[in-house]
Amino acid sequence: MVQLVPQLLRQQLAELAANDERIDGRSRWQSRDVELEVDILYNAEGSAKVVMGDTIVYVGVKFDTAAPYSDRPTSGSLMTGAELRPVAHRKYEPGPPSPESIELGRVVDRGIRESGCMDMESLCIVPGESVWRVMIDLHVLSDGGNIFDACATAAIAALRTATVPAKRFDVGEDFKLELKSTPVMCSYTRVGGRYVYDANEAEELGGDERVHITLGDEGHLHSLQKGLKGVLMPEEFAEILAQAGVKCAELRELIHSKEA
Amino acid sequence: MMGGYGDIKLLNDDGTRLDGRAVDEMRPVEIKAGVLPVADGSAWVKHGLNVAVAAVYGPMEAHPRKIQRQDRAVIDVRYNMAPFSTSDRIRPGFNRRSREISKVTAEALESVVLVERYPRSKIRVEIEILAAEAGTRCVGITAASVALADAGIPMRDMIVGVASGKIEGVVVLDLDKAEDNYGQADLPMGILPNTGEMAFLQMDGDLSIEEYNLACEYNYKAASEIHVLMKQALLDSASRGDA
Amino acid sequence: MNSNDGGAELRLVVPGDQIDAPPGTQPGSGVCKRGDSLVATKLGELKIGGDVAHVVPTFTKYLPRSGDLVIGYVEAVMNNLWFLDVGGPFNALLPMSLAPWKVEFGAAREHMGYGDAVLARVMEVDETHSVVATMKGVGLRKIKEGVIFEMPPHLMGLVIGSNGRTLQRLKVASDCRIITTQNGRILIDGNSEGIAIARKALQMIEETGHAPGLHSRLNGILGDDE
Repeated sequence: MVQLVPQLLRQQLAELAANDERIDGRSRWQSRDVELEVDILYNAEGSAKVVMGDTIVYVGVKFDTAAPYSDRPTSGSLMTGAELRPVAHRKYEPGPPSPESIELGRVVDRGIRESGCMDMESLCIVPGESVWRVMIDLHVLSDGGNIFDACATAAIAALRTATVPAKRFDVGEDFKLELKSTPVMCSYTRVGGRYVYDANEAEELGGDERVHITLGDEGHLHSLQKGLKGVLMPEEFAEILAQAGVKCAELRELIHSKEA
Repeated sequence: MMGGYGDIKLLNDDGTRLDGRAVDEMRPVEIKAGVLPVADGSAWVKHGLNVAVAAVYGPMEAHPRKIQRQDRAVIDVRYNMAPFSTSDRIRPGFNRRSREISKVTAEALESVVLVERYPRSKIRVEIEILAAEAGTRCVGITAASVALADAGIPMRDMIVGVASGKIEGVVVLDLDKAEDNYGQADLPMGILPNTGEMAFLQMDGDLSIEEYNLACEYNYKAASEIHVLMKQALLDSASRGDA
Repeated sequence: MNSNDGGAELRLVVPGDQIDAPPGTQPGSGVCKRGDSLVATKLGELKIGGDVAHVVPTFTKYLPRSGDLVIGYVEAVMNNLWFLDVGGPFNALLPMSLAPWKVEFGAAREHMGYGDAVLARVMEVDETHSVVATMKGVGLRKIKEGVIFEMPPHLMGLVIGSNGRTLQRLKVASDCRIITTQNGRILIDGNSEGIAIARKALQMIEETGHAPGLHSRLNGILGDDE
């Protein structure tokens, strides 16, 4: 998965950053157009597709029943899987799950789980015996940069429009999965020396570390992750956190607009 | 393949199937080319409720060394079903069925791609099934062919994936999920629409020679219909100016 | 594009399509024989001229040919050898003997290292597609300044235009040095405003390709053509 990073690209990105410009003409905190569709996968109980520039991801939510953990007898469970399959980019080689795909799954999962948006007790079927297991699968079809935000947005949108298939499992009538809030992720990448929002493919190739911030409805932090080699100062973090406050709210509105 | 289960009726009294189709009628098909911006070539195929996406990367140097052929390119196919593509979630990871389909799909494509043009190279074909409703290997083949053409990989013809089968003693074209689960035979094929050759052929169940012949005839008829759509998808993509 | 031969219709073909051509027509690129007939092997525009039928593909990857001017990126360096990514299936090898510097054995990295860009020429390609590149030649050098734009090689013709007209317009409107190559990489060097104009125009060409109306779209970005 090692990609050749042309020195001229890094040079160019640094020059652009010094002029407060970006390689595709966007301003520093501007995102690409986001297209969000929900309920588009026939066999999934919840689903969403997100397109951001050249990035295309699908997320499917499926349910099944399982025995609860012995220490949480009335609590449902949540798991998030991610595969960075070779379909998504020339750089993805076939093989066992890469550290990158594992990180993607876990970071998206953390934001959703830690926000408490899902009432896990409402997923109890028979206390101590059976509960609902919610399984989110992130499927990247085209990696044109910032797959984290694309996946996180699709995941929460898919969850919020999911229907629990109780009838198929013979435990009652189907019901809508009710979420208490909408955690949203915004990712910032250091490009040409400064942080920008929603890096595209060239910016990720020539850029450095990235920071993923998930905020809840009240603007609280629910998860943080800094990925890749690089360091940041507290002031830099403060700046992107302030930006995330605004951007997450915008994305939240977009997600809500797709609900019936 | 099991014989019909007692209480499942797949054919109505008037001879139509559960979804209203006639015995020789195909499910609706939609095809688009050039749908993935990052791949060298790509295609999206909807066939009934099946949805397949294929991406092509290459030709590129064949790695690891041991798979390299000195005189030609190798076609490296990965057929994969997304975890959310079926009614019961599929656990990601090694899957024998997918591995077999990848192999026979690669072998089918090798009979149409002009592989001698690219010695020591490989051409990656990535087939992702996003929704499955019987006939996914055929949809995968169709998607792969369109993606290869979209990627500018030279081929002497394309391959159309189609399947017919038998339900309650009657040969029918293009099995849907219930028919595949409860029917008596399944005959998927990969047909070259211009030469009539078969590059992909599998079968399971119980078919007499006459039944096979009829199923084969249905497959060829459907292949020419799907070929028209494959062609249209590529021509549309070419006129749009998609790279 | 769309400069048709005498008003003939644009004929798009897909792989496998039989080609109607006068008997004796030979298969050119994108066409092969099937028994006595000719068949298209690529998606693109069919052209029959002289006694050859060929297809101009709508998409094609770069395949190195001897004499090609290319921009390569150094992907690996060994003691006396650089491996260049030139956008083809295989890397090109640039041996020390074909570099412009006098290089001590083992010191290749001091002159050019991983990630550097270089303007080179393809010297030879053998039947197994092994490629040797050279930097001995006018203008061939390590690229220290400027921006490299990746254009699909089959659209390079549009960038240049008939008699180089479009390339000239780009250079004048952007006030930049612009070098086009055979492997789809374009070097743009100038001030940042000029580079931005050139990029915008090239991006438009990449996105819309052969779709009609190219010149009016260019006018929108570069200003009207005199």
